[in-house]
Amino acid sequence: MESNNYQLIDRKADQAAKVKLTIERTLVYIFLVFLTIICLFFFYLLFVNATRSHAEIQSGFTLIPSKHFFENFQKMWNLSGMAPVRKGLRNSFIIASISSVLTTYFSALTAYGVYAYNFKGKKFVETFILLIMMIPSQVSSVGFLEMCNEMHWTNQYWVLIVPGIAAPATFFYMIQHLRATLPLDLVEASRMDGSSEFMTFNRIVLPIMKPALAVQLIFSFVASWNNLYLPTLLITKTELKTLPTMLALLRSADFANMDNGLIYMVIFISIFPVMLVYLFLSRAIIKGVTSGSVKG
Amino acid sequence: MAEVILKDIKKIYPYVEKKTKNNKKGEPEKKHNLQITDKGVVAVQNFNLEIKDGEFIVLVGPSGCGKSTTLRMVAGLEDITEGELIIDGKVVNSIEPKDRDIAMVFQSYALYPHMTVYQNMAYSLKIKHTPKDVIDQKVREAARILNIEEYLDRKPRSLSGGQRQRVAIGRAIVRNPKVLLMDEPLSNLDAKLRNQMRAEIIKLRKKINTTFIYVTHDQIEAMTLGDRIVIMRDGFIQQIGTPQDVFDYPRNKFVSGFIGSPQMNYFDGKLLIEDGKYVVDVDGYKVTLSEAKQERLTANKIEPQDVCVGIRPDHMVIGKEGLEGMVDVSELMGTNAHLHMTVQNKDTIVIVPIINGYNDYVGKTVKLEFTGNLVHLFSLENDKNLEFINENVYSEVEE
Repeated sequence: MESNNYQLIDRKADQAAKVKLTIERTLVYIFLVFLTIICLFFFYLLFVNATRSHAEIQSGFTLIPSKHFFENFQKMWNLSGMAPVRKGLRNSFIIASISSVLTTYFSALTAYGVYAYNFKGKKFVETFILLIMMIPSQVSSVGFLEMCNEMHWTNQYWVLIVPGIAAPATFFYMIQHLRATLPLDLVEASRMDGSSEFMTFNRIVLPIMKPALAVQLIFSFVASWNNLYLPTLLITKTELKTLPTMLALLRSADFANMDNGLIYMVIFISIFPVMLVYLFLSRAIIKGVTSGSVKG
Repeated sequence: MAEVILKDIKKIYPYVEKKTKNNKKGEPEKKHNLQITDKGVVAVQNFNLEIKDGEFIVLVGPSGCGKSTTLRMVAGLEDITEGELIIDGKVVNSIEPKDRDIAMVFQSYALYPHMTVYQNMAYSLKIKHTPKDVIDQKVREAARILNIEEYLDRKPRSLSGGQRQRVAIGRAIVRNPKVLLMDEPLSNLDAKLRNQMRAEIIKLRKKINTTFIYVTHDQIEAMTLGDRIVIMRDGFIQQIGTPQDVFDYPRNKFVSGFIGSPQMNYFDGKLLIEDGKYVVDVDGYKVTLSEAKQERLTANKIEPQDVCVGIRPDHMVIGKEGLEGMVDVSELMGTNAHLHMTVQNKDTIVIVPIINGYNDYVGKTVKLEFTGNLVHLFSLENDKNLEFINENVYSEVEE
């Protein structure tokens, strides 16, 4: 009796739905693979061109890597004169590292201050900081440049590091993160436990903000690493120039001196640290971006 | 362990928004029942309390009554607008929380999520640069008292609500504070755990020697935990007394309704003098008051008048004469039944014991009797208990 019932069960609709689902999923995956290829294609092309000589690049487009990778690398490594890339790499690394650490720390500190303390004009301060975010840096750069000249602050690392610390976008991200993740009870508990205000921030608040700190550390590192505008305006000494400025110089060289293989190699080297950072910290980035959205 | 004295404490929260047009002149007005002056909202006022060394004081009242504000002022997390706070003989109004030597357990536990239970408990000692072996000994001792030894290496997120609460208490007791403050510590727990933790706190109190100030809105917690209860409403103290005193002799109608569950029933009645004795008359049902009540009313020279008569649900019985009412609903509780009925067009609850089987009263009209020693008489003018109309909130009845 039971087996009869078992045979009577209709499976046709379920099987049809299964087939439909498989087809749909396959199509979606094909589309996603296609998007990924588009995204990665230009990186691959960059790599291919970094392995080719100037003459090969001039002769046309190909997807097959050539043999001149180490030659190009050597040329880049030994560059001197107006674009010593090795120094550029070092300068960019020092500036981006220090500025990203300081930007992240002080933005977190400011956000914490505005979030955790009650003071007159608190709302105004927050709105004012957000307002600055709306103003593109190009608008204020003339005044900024003049100020730096007056203060004799050009041609120094600090001129690229210190002003960057006031980062309204980072502040905004941090305060949103604090609102979602830091109950003020924790701050009060820490006060009751006997810690000073700075100790509370460093020992209790910062560890809780870890995902947000990781994200902003990466973002501000990348932003500083890629920054071309301010270094071009403020740094004129060759040995202090950053990688993007040197790259721009190389690209603007006249036809006779132009070496496309070398330029591609410099681009390849300049995006390499950024790619590494994303590759190793993608997990932290995803965690940081979605943190606070679900109560954990 | 320390004595805590709160002297004329007042807390005003200054206005955050701009004043409305109506309040331009700065005249006091009433909003949310809290007094509003031109300086701001008065959250607590006229707060006078002397807490003895090692005493367990419970501040209780409905939300917005100022109990948490008072506790936070003691903790140092809120500024005191007026008055003096004295801990262990020293005025501490302007002293930072960390220098007051008090600990606090928060409603939300407020455990540091990135630290293990051990680190959470050791944090305050570590800040004070206590030697490591002393920290270890103290943390393990506190963990033993609270039965959380096996969780010391875990992070708070992997603990249940009850365990987290224990850790929060552990963090507070590990440094032997002079005063231990607790801000609704059990209100995030489910009913069963709450009962369990309540008993744990009573046990804990015997083990550690400190002064407790405990805030709750739950009158059962207040009754079971406190040596004395402070009942608050709209920023004012309504009554201070032992749990039994507050239950037996509520100084006003608010206290009588707030303490005791189910709530006290109120009827319109008359206070009469017949043959030289005070008699209460509710809808023609007359009851002569007990000797103690007679004495107190006589001492206060109370005139015959219309009164509000309060009787607790378990102080009435179904009898042959008395107040008449029809039973609408009967809630069976096992050992007794709560009968909901309408008397004088008001909801009335009576608790009847179930001894020889349950008698279904629903839909029937019954008569409620009560005796002269268990009625409370409140003035219609100011809601004060007529027996204690000339006393302040601090006095206690001695029998």
